Amino acid sequence: MGKENPAEKALNLIRGRLCDPTFVFRPLSGPPDSNYSKLKFIVSTSITEGCNNSILLLGPRGSGKAAVLDLVVGDLMEEYPDSVTLIRLNGLLHSEDNCAFKEIARQLCVEHHLLFSKMASFDENSQFIIAMLRECGLAHKTIIFVLDEFDMFAQASQRLLYSLLDAMQSVTSQAVVVGISSRLDADQLLEKRVRSRFSHRKILFLPPSREEIDSLLEHLLSLPADSSFPSGYVTQFNEKIKNITSDTRFKDMLKTFLNANSTVNSLLKFIFRAVSSMNLESGLLSLENFKTAFSSMLRQPKLEAVRADCSILELYLLVCMRRLEVKEQSSYNFISVMKGNLLIEFGLRNDESCATMKNNLGFYVFTEYKTIHDSFQTSDFYAQNVCLRAFEHLREREVICYAENRGQSQAGEYRPMKLLISASELHQGMRSHACCPAILLKLLDH
Amino acid sequence: MPTIAGPSLSPHKRIVAARSENTGCPRSAEDITPRKRKLRSDSAAAVPTPIKWKSPRRCALMAEVEEEPNGMLETQFDCLDGKSKWNPRDDDQMKAVKEALHVSTAPSTVVCREDEQRRALEFVKGCMEQNKAGSLYICGCPGTGKSLLMFVYEFFQEGLPCLETVSVNCMSLTKTTDIFSKVLGENETGKKAIGSSTPLEQLQILFSQKQQSSSSKMMLIIADEMDYLITRDRRVLHELFMLTTLPLSRCILIGVANAIDLADRFLPKLKSLNCKPLVVTFRAYSMQQIVRILQERLVELPYVAFQPKALELCARKVSAASGDMRKVLSVCRSALEILETEVKGSTDEEPQIPVPEDQMVKMDHMVAALAKTFKSPVVDTIQSLPQHQQIIVCSAAKAFRGSKKDRTTAELNNLYMEICKSSMITPAGITEFTNMCTVLNDQGILKLSQARNDKLKRVSLRVDEADITFALKEIRFFRNCLL
Repeated sequence: MGKENPAEKALNLIRGRLCDPTFVFRPLSGPPDSNYSKLKFIVSTSITEGCNNSILLLGPRGSGKAAVLDLVVGDLMEEYPDSVTLIRLNGLLHSEDNCAFKEIARQLCVEHHLLFSKMASFDENSQFIIAMLRECGLAHKTIIFVLDEFDMFAQASQRLLYSLLDAMQSVTSQAVVVGISSRLDADQLLEKRVRSRFSHRKILFLPPSREEIDSLLEHLLSLPADSSFPSGYVTQFNEKIKNITSDTRFKDMLKTFLNANSTVNSLLKFIFRAVSSMNLESGLLSLENFKTAFSSMLRQPKLEAVRADCSILELYLLVCMRRLEVKEQSSYNFISVMKGNLLIEFGLRNDESCATMKNNLGFYVFTEYKTIHDSFQTSDFYAQNVCLRAFEHLREREVICYAENRGQSQAGEYRPMKLLISASELHQGMRSHACCPAILLKLLDH
Repeated sequence: MPTIAGPSLSPHKRIVAARSENTGCPRSAEDITPRKRKLRSDSAAAVPTPIKWKSPRRCALMAEVEEEPNGMLETQFDCLDGKSKWNPRDDDQMKAVKEALHVSTAPSTVVCREDEQRRALEFVKGCMEQNKAGSLYICGCPGTGKSLLMFVYEFFQEGLPCLETVSVNCMSLTKTTDIFSKVLGENETGKKAIGSSTPLEQLQILFSQKQQSSSSKMMLIIADEMDYLITRDRRVLHELFMLTTLPLSRCILIGVANAIDLADRFLPKLKSLNCKPLVVTFRAYSMQQIVRILQERLVELPYVAFQPKALELCARKVSAASGDMRKVLSVCRSALEILETEVKGSTDEEPQIPVPEDQMVKMDHMVAALAKTFKSPVVDTIQSLPQHQQIIVCSAAKAFRGSKKDRTTAELNNLYMEICKSSMITPAGITEFTNMCTVLNDQGILKLSQARNDKLKRVSLRVDEADITFALKEIRFFRNCLL
């Protein structure tokens, strides 16, 4: 009981932190030229001075745009308790004009404790919104419109955008329009007249730098010197974290991970997985946790299918298909693969022998194959129906598939097939296979 | 939404009286309007005033104002003789400057649009004098002062008492035919809705029959963003303009839109009826006009906030791009904010350092503001992409160099793996590759089409190849790759 509890508590604490975007992005808001400060500056000048503004937040998904905006709005609501109203719209839900106006009216009603009627028409809604804007302008209350998925609002007629941005051109209203989008050319999607009313301020959310990542890791994973944790445990835990993060292997792994996706969100997922596989008995994180997390993040399902599931015969068939592919026969069927298999079995490589084999068409080449097999003593020879079953198994695992969907009349063995796995994946899978014969690897390379 | 509310005109009426003369006397409050008009036409003629003899009259506080080759700018600076230094740390002063430059503060008189204003006014007056109906079409790029003129127009209503004005922004209509009910709604002559006739029919009846009442006020209809009335059969627009051709019609229609050839393209019948609308084109602002407008806005402030060269640079850049006044104001405000952060940032450390002499918005602030507004975020984003995604972008740039403009994902994957192999980087698997392509599609760098099979999706490039080369030129590997 004594030692389990701190570990579980620590685990819960860290997992809670990772799921809370406010906590994650708080340290990024320190420096004066961070996105947080820029955004806060623009919105707070609108609140204090009453001048209208419009901004666009751009960046890949998961880079923290909505989180930073929430931080800014939260802070401003604390600083100016009664002067801020927040209206949120989402491009996926409210891109249609009627819907959007209704939603704005509804949210305004909720904010100001008025009754909202669902039967209100479009005209009534827009009159209401104008009246509210005027009232709020007179009372020096700022309305912040947050438009998520801004590029979706620009797809259809841009009436909502025009109305909002036009309202901001008048002296009577006090509003800020914040658009969030992952498309970099979101403002090029706007019509000329809407774009002219937009004030061209853009804040770009770029992936964090190395120093920021290091400080973020420390911030997320260090336990606080709280009284609820035994103090020895806290120092031990933090020590371990420091050791791990300064380890070169960890740094290499992090670098490989960040080479594929560098957004904050993916980093959080990675850390979450690592932390979740923490050993509860020792109560400390270790490098192995991060390694397991890493391998589970960069999954290659087809490779695993090859590595874990395939029998030797199936590997043979895959290698044959690959060789046929290399010989630029883009469509091959079971029979040609079988012939290729025979070629491998006989170790025949030059073209003349291939020609003679091709001349020997027919289904019952197997009898000859079998006699030769007896003399060659390869242990991996199987009958045709066994091979057919192996083929079917590969097809179920979706490592191979039929090349065309028509031609049902043809017998299964004659239908053209193709590989769904690339050569490098096949190679890797075979190399990590438990008992792959060496001859196959050699044959794959040539 | 109806047209935007009228601007608060009272604080700006002072502008009329505040203009000084050519000779550089200090501002006098008795400057009357005829003087002002003379000044404007003088400066429009660009009389080059001698520069030399003005310099001793300059106040000592106005340090290093450069000699302007443009005589027009000179005249403005004479009234700066009496101006004090601007303290950007003072919140009120900063606020005043920002307000002067905000888009929503409309000036009391419209500078640089006198010609267009005169033409429109003459047209309306002509219609009123002859008691005839007529139509006017105002067109021009966004940000050239069309709607602004309409507001100052409302201000001019005082000079034209016999007009009823209906001002409609066609974007705010649910249905295009609602415009007729809006027009009718303002024209309550006591008649209730006649049975089941549509508002259009009522209007037509109204204008075809002799008016019983003696008060035959002319009606001025201003339709903003008129291209929203264009439907497939173009009926509404036609009917609206046809209202002015009815025999006893007494309405004057002013339509505002962006397209220059709206009247020709969508209203061919009017030509045959010989009642084509008069077209007034608002051209995009030129550099000199932009500078004049900015100075007009800043002239009533008691201090100098902007270095003249900075204003000129801003005007030059924006007029070369679009001539949009809103953009100019936005850039100026952005420059103000840069100055503000610079000034406020230094206050945190040592407040006892005295304010340096003539702190105002200088060239470097304006250059930074222009860069912020005109720069596309693409280059920065490509530079900060993770390595594999950069390789994908690079391979896409190479793939789409020739005539082929789109390829399948599988082909792109092959190219990507080639590049990876040539630099000993382990390529990502096909699943990871497709995910990265989707991420790039989300960001608007690549364009992925839909297909059932992942590998058959067609990929094309949305970004210019030149941008990619520029963004990746620092890294030697990509530089060699893109050669």
